[in-house]
Amino acid sequence: MNVLQNIKYIIIAVLMVGFAKAEAHNHANPCTRHEPFKVLCDLCGCSTSSGSFGFGTLSNANFVGVRYIYQNFESRNGIFENSPISKETFNTYQLWAQIPINDSFYVTGSLPYQDLTRDFNGVTENLNGLGDASVIGWYKHVFYKKKSDDVVDFNNTKEPTGHSLQFGLGIKLPTGQFEQRLADNINPGFQVGTGSVDGVFSLGYNYGSDKFGVNTLLSYYLKGENKNEYQFGNQFSYAVNFFTAIPKEKMNIMPFVGLSGDVYDSITQYGETLSDTDGNILNASLGSELAIDKFIFGASYTLPVSQKLFGNNVKSKQRLSVYVNFAL
Amino acid sequence: MKLFKYTFALLACAVITACSSDDDGIQEDDLTGQSGTLTLKYDNGVGDQDFIFGTSYSKSGSESFTLENLKYIISNVRFTDTNGTVFEYPTEDNVFIIDELDGNNAGEIYVSLDNVDAADYVSITFGIGIDQDRFALGAEGQGDFLDLADAEGMMWSWASGYKFIRLDGTYSSSTMTDQPLNIHMGSVGTALDNYKEVTLDFPNTVFVRADKAPEVHIKADIAKVFDGATSVNFTDGYDQVHTDANETPIIATNIATMFEVHHVHND
Repeated sequence: MNVLQNIKYIIIAVLMVGFAKAEAHNHANPCTRHEPFKVLCDLCGCSTSSGSFGFGTLSNANFVGVRYIYQNFESRNGIFENSPISKETFNTYQLWAQIPINDSFYVTGSLPYQDLTRDFNGVTENLNGLGDASVIGWYKHVFYKKKSDDVVDFNNTKEPTGHSLQFGLGIKLPTGQFEQRLADNINPGFQVGTGSVDGVFSLGYNYGSDKFGVNTLLSYYLKGENKNEYQFGNQFSYAVNFFTAIPKEKMNIMPFVGLSGDVYDSITQYGETLSDTDGNILNASLGSELAIDKFIFGASYTLPVSQKLFGNNVKSKQRLSVYVNFAL
Repeated sequence: MKLFKYTFALLACAVITACSSDDDGIQEDDLTGQSGTLTLKYDNGVGDQDFIFGTSYSKSGSESFTLENLKYIISNVRFTDTNGTVFEYPTEDNVFIIDELDGNNAGEIYVSLDNVDAADYVSITFGIGIDQDRFALGAEGQGDFLDLADAEGMMWSWASGYKFIRLDGTYSSSTMTDQPLNIHMGSVGTALDNYKEVTLDFPNTVFVRADKAPEVHIKADIAKVFDGATSVNFTDGYDQVHTDANETPIIATNIATMFEVHHVHND
């Protein structure tokens, strides 16, 4: 009764979410202090679980694995065009998995460890710790080829068309710790977690044949409030990847190109919208997966194509991601 | 399959309750007798550039200026709340010198106001310089501020009074290079009143509470001193502005246009 046990775990997880939510309101959140860095919580350190980063592998295989994400940002520390720039480097080490429940349902989850560095005025600050975990439950609908009525077919197995849809419903938990460091002048700003419970709604469409495939994913994040009724703007993420498969004797090489992006609503506090806190970014990615036996190795490099983040106070520079997954 | 549906339904409930907002706006507690700290952050710039000593800034009339001294007096700070009630900071402490030299590494000069009545404030009003009422208190009535202003070079003599703004540096025009520039504008005793007040709306409500320390970030565009309501040229005599009855009111009016509340923080 493995399946039933899984359900129990999910119910327990949901209950825990409820408690976590109650607790989240009591969190002291330094993200609310000073700008423009507060937005980084939402954008950089904490968003590595977002849909624009992808939830799984190209082939939508079940797996457990580890992922490393390296990101660079530049932020303006002031209100003027020549205000000093700080440089942020975000290292994220992530445990991630896609676990099947049965033929139609699966769960994806990620648990990041964040290691963040900020250089400003010759001073380097470091912040690290557990980040915000997320869990998404998925229903997968596979389209099968229609059978001809004329032919009497005794073969009972249905033949998939390669097309499938995925519906995901999930939650991001405030498992990341906050830390208020340094005084007023230089603000830590970058954080490992947002302090909020966020809802995640996803819709994916995949097509895969022997030679070619496409993955698309649309996600919407309903952001919860944290302390002081501070609420990050809801976020829409999109990602599309085109890949091809090059089978070799002992491995399968799957190079891919993709576009991904995020659109952020304005941050609100006390029911009022804060100016220059919305934004959007469009990224282009290039990468490849390598499947050897049960192992999937992946790497991708991402550059922003266009961006306007938070009144142009924050600039994304680049992103590198590598992962090793073990197929289940 | 039913169990899966229940699981999904439960998850959906969790997501929706987790994300629904309990209320809009700040909780309205009884604020009677409650007070808090409010910090003003003055940030000098020239247009969209942060002000930096020794940097040459161009202005109208093909002129440019470079400053090594930039300070001004702020007084009579008060706040208006959502009900229209005005809180005024105690008069004896309600006068400040904003000196660019006092800026932190981001060039912001902090004015910390303690014991501000807890309220939801929507605007700030302050004066630039010293009003006639305060001047009429006499030298004795100025408290410690007289010594401070003297030490900061913001006084002429007691009879002439305070310099409301002090810019020292050099200017260049199409015909001259690095000529001395000194703007020492103020009232002249009781004969000439150049005190001005400005009222600035907050882009977001400022919530002063015992456990909240909001900050108001005020941007001052120094370019407006010369290119404000009226554009003036150094070569027309505005390189040395001291007590002139024609020049000082124009500078005073220009300065009253240079402030803007860029944003506020509610902790």
